[in-house]
Amino acid sequence: MTTPAARTTPISGEVGPSATAPSLELSDLSVMIGGQGGDGTLTVSDLLGRYFRKRGLYVYTSRNVLSRIRGGHADASVRASRDPISAVKSQVDVLVAFDNEAVEMGRAELAPHGFVLYDSTTFRADLPNSVGFPFATLVGGPLGQPIFKNTAAYGALSVLLGFDPTLTRSVIEERFKRRGGEALEKNLKALDIGRHVALEAPGVAGRFSVTEGDAHDLVLTTGNQAVALGFVVGGGRFFAGYPITPATEIMEYLQRYLPPFDGVVRQAEDELAAINMVIGAAYAGARAMTSTSGPGLSLMTEGIGHAGAAEIPVVVADCQRVGPSTGQPTRNEQSDLSHLANLGHGEYPRFLIAPADPEDAFGLTIQALNLAEKWRLPVILLLDQALCQNTTTSRRFNLSEVRIDRGKRITPESAGKLTQYKAYEVTEDGVSAVALPGTPGLWSEVTGNEHDEWGHVSVNVANRVRMMKKRMEKMVKAVHDLPSCRTFGPAGARVGFIGYGSTSGPIFEALHLLETQGVSARYLQARTLYPVPVHEIDPFLKGLDTAYVVEHNYTGQLLRLLRETMPWHHAKLRSILRYDGYSFRAPQIVSAVRGGT
Amino acid sequence: MVQSYKPVPPIWCPGCGDFSVLAAVKRAAADLKIPTHELVLVGGIGCSGSIHNFLEINGLHALHGRLLAQAVGVKLANPSLTVVAAGGDGDGYAIGMGHFMHAFKKNASILYIVMNNETYGLTKGQASPTSQLGFEGNVEPPFHSILTALSIPAPNFIARTFSGDPKTMTAILEEALRFNREGRGFAFVEDLSPCVTYNDTYKLWREKVTDVSKLPGYDPTDRKAMFRLCLEAIEGGRIPIGVMHRPKDGARDGLELKLVGEKLGPVRTDIRIESNLAAYQKLISGLA
Repeated sequence: MTTPAARTTPISGEVGPSATAPSLELSDLSVMIGGQGGDGTLTVSDLLGRYFRKRGLYVYTSRNVLSRIRGGHADASVRASRDPISAVKSQVDVLVAFDNEAVEMGRAELAPHGFVLYDSTTFRADLPNSVGFPFATLVGGPLGQPIFKNTAAYGALSVLLGFDPTLTRSVIEERFKRRGGEALEKNLKALDIGRHVALEAPGVAGRFSVTEGDAHDLVLTTGNQAVALGFVVGGGRFFAGYPITPATEIMEYLQRYLPPFDGVVRQAEDELAAINMVIGAAYAGARAMTSTSGPGLSLMTEGIGHAGAAEIPVVVADCQRVGPSTGQPTRNEQSDLSHLANLGHGEYPRFLIAPADPEDAFGLTIQALNLAEKWRLPVILLLDQALCQNTTTSRRFNLSEVRIDRGKRITPESAGKLTQYKAYEVTEDGVSAVALPGTPGLWSEVTGNEHDEWGHVSVNVANRVRMMKKRMEKMVKAVHDLPSCRTFGPAGARVGFIGYGSTSGPIFEALHLLETQGVSARYLQARTLYPVPVHEIDPFLKGLDTAYVVEHNYTGQLLRLLRETMPWHHAKLRSILRYDGYSFRAPQIVSAVRGGT
Repeated sequence: MVQSYKPVPPIWCPGCGDFSVLAAVKRAAADLKIPTHELVLVGGIGCSGSIHNFLEINGLHALHGRLLAQAVGVKLANPSLTVVAAGGDGDGYAIGMGHFMHAFKKNASILYIVMNNETYGLTKGQASPTSQLGFEGNVEPPFHSILTALSIPAPNFIARTFSGDPKTMTAILEEALRFNREGRGFAFVEDLSPCVTYNDTYKLWREKVTDVSKLPGYDPTDRKAMFRLCLEAIEGGRIPIGVMHRPKDGARDGLELKLVGEKLGPVRTDIRIESNLAAYQKLISGLA
């Protein structure tokens, strides 16, 4: 079947450039791809990300999808830059639209030189600087299915952006080789169709060009994948979870990664089972973790408290999303911090640690496993949707720095030399040596009831006080064992930022923007959030006139935690907040500072 | 000998049905020569759930209703351990019902003993999921764990015992533990364990218990036949006891064998970096 010639004619915008117009070279490019769920916007984003990586560029991709399998508006954005980036760009250079809604939603963010490439099968965009090709019809004929329209759009885009044709093709081969012959063949055909129509159309080819970068020794990954890899390398061998956006990928990666290492991954019947299976496995001696998001975290709260009371080492990765209740499962927020810092009924020690990027997530997952076993308590890896699901270029994960610290363990050999074994022996650092069930010649009682050193249930007054101190003082004694904060920017600056997780990317950019405007600013990236690292944040704040706490929530949860622990800095701490589900863009942070100083 | 946790005297009222279970567990473990250090007992919350405090055993006191999830976690992490979960009817059939149903499906080789006294004894006699109509104003029909267990098509060992007959109970617990230790899957034993203080049913239950193996058509490998047999007994005002289900082919269907098999599993495997370096490098080099 041949495609009617009339339908292949491009629909050009009013101000279509002539074929000889010089191309606009971009060293920091943002492409937004929008359409209905199922249109394949994420695939286009993935293909572009792979291409830009091959050109040595830093890449950051984010997605904005609805919590449904098909339908509803979905968009993805890809940013590529010669310089390190880990945030969405505030303006879009090229918009790829599969429907009119995508045009309507994307045009507001379009840069003055911005260009729209759209699928004209069902609509016509009434815009200058745009070109439409009927991708769905073009591929539908020769390939039998319109679904390859996304690859055709990638082909047209490659012409618009002046891509190297060989590299463009190798990205398709790399992406689809695992799916087998037919999928690869059809996608290659779709690529050619898309390239062909774009090359024929006036003013499209080479309208833009993208600078080549020199960032080669990097990986393109997500926080969720980094956590899964960190778990395996950190000796994690038992994982139980329950599917929940945006945490599910951690479980899915581990289902692939863990079995060859003698590990077990279980999808539990609910989050109550997940945390309790993890508790059982950790009690038995496995390095164990679960991952979840807000609603699941609420259900796990009782179990996490039990791990604190019974001194069982568990790791919980919390991928924060918009809450409360079901909230907005696919959107970004950092609103679980207050809950986690005060987690559960009763009082027990816990560590909250927060990585800022995939490499950090890899390292801190390993550290979380070490800390949990060393201090025998629950450790929470505090993540957020953008960190978990957006892909970014990250330094390669370094295995040579990895250390496994299992804390005080009684081995079958050393057990023979003991005269007695008390599971809750009171020690200097509050940590009792552990003998796993199965250690010949001894046994123990592990319980969430208040207990004496032997594990006997106890209501003795002096014992209660002693045991509370044993557990709670771990948070004081471990302070210098916890991940340290990172500071950036000139030491003499009087303005500062404090943030954690995915807000680090836009804050870095804000520092640079402010610098170009003559404002010198610093940033403290908190990597331990609880217990609050006063010994690091206090000196940082002392040097500042104003510190902006940048976070994704309504009430300023981190700001409140800092004011509570360092009331003497109350006045200089201010909030920059965003809670609409979208991540910060650097200019928003800059204007908050410029308006406020 | 290392001095370890010393059992304390039971907190139970004199005559409590749970004493029979305590004695039968001790006896079964001794008869099967299970070393103390390899035996883990995960207890629930309630009078019966404190049973691990009264034994020389690795005791893990779980949260209310969560003992099965914790017990499955222990078993999957280290399949070489013998794992028993024990609790009451409120723990298992009310707050823990979700995990109860899924334990049959999962089929990990652990033994679950429910001491059913048809009341919440520790909190002083409220109606439980198994309470009869009229007990403490109860207007909901009692839940029958055996019928539920038989309705799930999994190769589990299913039995019911009576604290008034400790000898049969010991034999059944021994069979259940052997079933587990052969890796054949989940064993569920409900013990009818009267609460002498809030629901003293010894006399009534002694009159009503019926040994299913004596009934015509008894065949514990035939799920359909056993469901009918038990349902008819219940509808006839009887309380069926005995072995209700025993898979016939002896297959080693335990979840831990499907996941870990003959390998060491999560606890015993070597997690040192140097032992895994090449495999880790390969895993990480897969990133784009």
